[in-house]
Amino acid sequence: MVVGDFATEVDVMVIGGGPGGYVAAIRAAQLGRKVTLVDKSELGGVCLNRGCIPSKALISAADRVQQIRSASKLGINVENVAVDLEQMMNWKDEVVKKLTGGVRTLLKGNKVEVVSGEAYFSGPNTVRVSTENSSQTYQFNDCIIATGSRPTELKSLPFDGKRILSSTELLQLKEVPKHLLVVGGGYIGLELGTAYRKLGSEVTILEGADSILPEVDPAITRMVNRNLKKLGVKVVTKAMVQGGQTTGDEVTVTAEVKGKEETFTADVVLVAIGRTPNTDELGLDQVGITPDERGFIPVDDQLRTAVDHVYAIGDITGGALLAHKASYEGKVAAEVIAGQKSAVDYQVMPYVIFSDPEIAYAGLTEKEAKEAGYDPVTSRFSFHANGRALSMEAADGFVQVVADKESKQILGVQIVGPEASSLISEAVLAIEMGANVEDLSLTIHPHPTLPEALMEAAEGVLGQAIHMVNKK
Amino acid sequence: MAYELKLPDIGEGIQEGEIVTLYVKQGDTVKEDDVFAEVQTDKAVVEIPCPVTGTVKEILVKEGDVIDVGTVMAVFVPEGEEVTAPSSPAPSTEKKTETEVKQSQSVATQEKPVTVGNKKRVLAMPSVRKLARELGIDITQVTPSGPNGRITAEDVRNFASGSVQKEVPATTEEPQEVPAVSSSMPAQPTPVAAAGDEERIPLRGLRRTIARRMAESKFTAPHVTVMEEVDATKLIEIRSWGKKVGEERGIKLTYLPFIIKAVIAALRQYPTLNASIDMEKEEIIIKKYVHMGIATATEDGLIVPVIKNADRKSIFQLAEELTELTTRTRERKAQPHELTGSTFTITNIGSFGGTYFTPIINYPEVAILGVGKIADRPAVVDGQVVVRPQMHVSLSMDHRLIDGDVAARFLSKVKELLENPNLLMMEMS
Repeated sequence: MVVGDFATEVDVMVIGGGPGGYVAAIRAAQLGRKVTLVDKSELGGVCLNRGCIPSKALISAADRVQQIRSASKLGINVENVAVDLEQMMNWKDEVVKKLTGGVRTLLKGNKVEVVSGEAYFSGPNTVRVSTENSSQTYQFNDCIIATGSRPTELKSLPFDGKRILSSTELLQLKEVPKHLLVVGGGYIGLELGTAYRKLGSEVTILEGADSILPEVDPAITRMVNRNLKKLGVKVVTKAMVQGGQTTGDEVTVTAEVKGKEETFTADVVLVAIGRTPNTDELGLDQVGITPDERGFIPVDDQLRTAVDHVYAIGDITGGALLAHKASYEGKVAAEVIAGQKSAVDYQVMPYVIFSDPEIAYAGLTEKEAKEAGYDPVTSRFSFHANGRALSMEAADGFVQVVADKESKQILGVQIVGPEASSLISEAVLAIEMGANVEDLSLTIHPHPTLPEALMEAAEGVLGQAIHMVNKK
Repeated sequence: MAYELKLPDIGEGIQEGEIVTLYVKQGDTVKEDDVFAEVQTDKAVVEIPCPVTGTVKEILVKEGDVIDVGTVMAVFVPEGEEVTAPSSPAPSTEKKTETEVKQSQSVATQEKPVTVGNKKRVLAMPSVRKLARELGIDITQVTPSGPNGRITAEDVRNFASGSVQKEVPATTEEPQEVPAVSSSMPAQPTPVAAAGDEERIPLRGLRRTIARRMAESKFTAPHVTVMEEVDATKLIEIRSWGKKVGEERGIKLTYLPFIIKAVIAALRQYPTLNASIDMEKEEIIIKKYVHMGIATATEDGLIVPVIKNADRKSIFQLAEELTELTTRTRERKAQPHELTGSTFTITNIGSFGGTYFTPIINYPEVAILGVGKIADRPAVVDGQVVVRPQMHVSLSMDHRLIDGDVAARFLSKVKELLENPNLLMMEMS
């Protein structure tokens, strides 16, 4: 410690103000702890500022454009649809500002002290927070690390901030690119690629595996693939990027596609190949925490690291890199610190992808259920038989329920279709509550709504769906 | 090749062990024979070494887990071998880009798998699962009463209050491992404290074993305790004489070997006290050998080391073995086989003070002798009240097998032998 540097004593120190950190801070404060939260940039983290929220704003706007363009079928004739991307971005920034402002208000309302700066551990109980022109040491009793993750760089195609971009910069463009090349057919590349296609870009997606979203059930990705073709998005699978060359306004990317070398030219390239945990510049060795070889911090069921009074939550703990996982873990860690017997104890983690149509799933697929030792029954209900979906002109897709044959317990639900992201929550609740398909089918679902499809799929497991002919 | 570390068979008859402390974490680099974990069996704590030099790929147990012999505890990747992806990763959004991450050989971003869990799910609402955690209950042990095997909040509360039958650990057919015994440390009922005035400590390790065994004994065997006063005048004489002889031979002689000898002589006469009941076969097992359990206080709680074939050992041999065995027990270094198989147990609280007490039988044994301290007390000798060194002895017995008259006669025999230790020599076989 520098002479004259007096540590400020704090009770609970939360590092990172994303959906993990700010939630943990609020919960710990609710339970009577005195909380200080450090964040290096904006409150709300990637999710609010550079991820979930801005991308969903952009996707909604792009969907709106697409709906307007194809409205003539519904008897709405609109001419000269023009996209003002700058205005769209301003609107998106307003949405983000409202939410980050909300987080600030909530933290203040819960008496959480917010400190700006970069945190670096200087000992097992001390953290040094530096801003451009000052630094201050804090001594804490307990600490929650919630520093999240950042886009992974492709060595052969490094980010340049101008033409080779991460999702962060792609959400801040001033003009719609003429040709957008997306490297990575995961959910980020797919969501943003689809949105820019709807805004007018030519879009090509390069994916290394033999399908986009390689981890998702093929029956579900088939629906999305079909629509990508309809929208005119070019998908190149088994494509291994070798390198890129920027000349003037263009980037030429070389890739090996199914064994042959091909080149792709675009004015903007999005590299979305995964995310890297922000654990490398924290001084973790000063606390005695060793991340694993991929940079993730090992934690126990109560999110405790190898050091008893230091907890880690969210992306840096690995597993699913999802905001809702981070928030859940934030609450658990805060409760454990407050002396409660909380633990990470969920039956299923929901996944949502804002593709077109949307994808959402939770729990086991039929294949996974078999592997887990169940005797599963699967029932699928198409949105083409759902009145609300048809009246929305969004009937592509289905709800699929996987249940245990004997107990009829719901093991998993997969949805592709309109509002899948919202529909999945009922399924998650059902699984957490230990519901069986009968519970779902005996629950009145209002008509005409999309959730009826889940009820029908559940009835289908019993061979009693009304709006489809049941499998014998 | 990944190497699976299974819980080895650490001693005769041991079927399960509890993980007390894990010394390694997932991702650690370890050397062969580094300590992997401390595992507690019925009584002993055993260190399990790492099987190979390399990295810890996955740890499948956590502290407090009770696992069967043969259960895989961890997976190791030997040095020089690649860490391969886990075999069945859970679906996760970031995974979807995995192939391209590989293609670029860029920074690894893949996450560890979320276990979808091979075990079938517990059917209980999140709030019920939380309640179980708060009450410190393993919800998988709760018997469900709801439809389709759902566990209700009521089930959890009933389980916590003990009003529902709990899963009793499988017992072996053999005379049984030594359960924790005696009342040298009676359980204190927790006084009701104001909120914030309580500390909750997980019931783990030895304390949990003791709790389980005590309850098993007290709720299975109907206990009756008979008591006697022993005039220790002659016992003190012979012991102080023997003590000097022992010192010359480097042996520390206490009163306990004499008490053991007296008990053995009495057991010969009343063999039903050296027995156990096999309720399943409805048979009484009379043991022709005497393995003497000695209740021993350790820092972690009560442990009963066993002097095997005590009936074939001399007083000096007993003294020597007692010193050695109880010392190792206090250091928690006694081996599992040294802590199992007793046929009768003696609990001596005399060195801590105390007169009469009602010891709890070391189940499935059928009797236990409690010994209090020797102190000067009034006694009636030849119609006169005189001061005599008196020792209080208490015998608890399982009334299913032993009736009060037998118990009283047995204890009188012990009293007689201790009051006239010369008789011990006469009764020696």
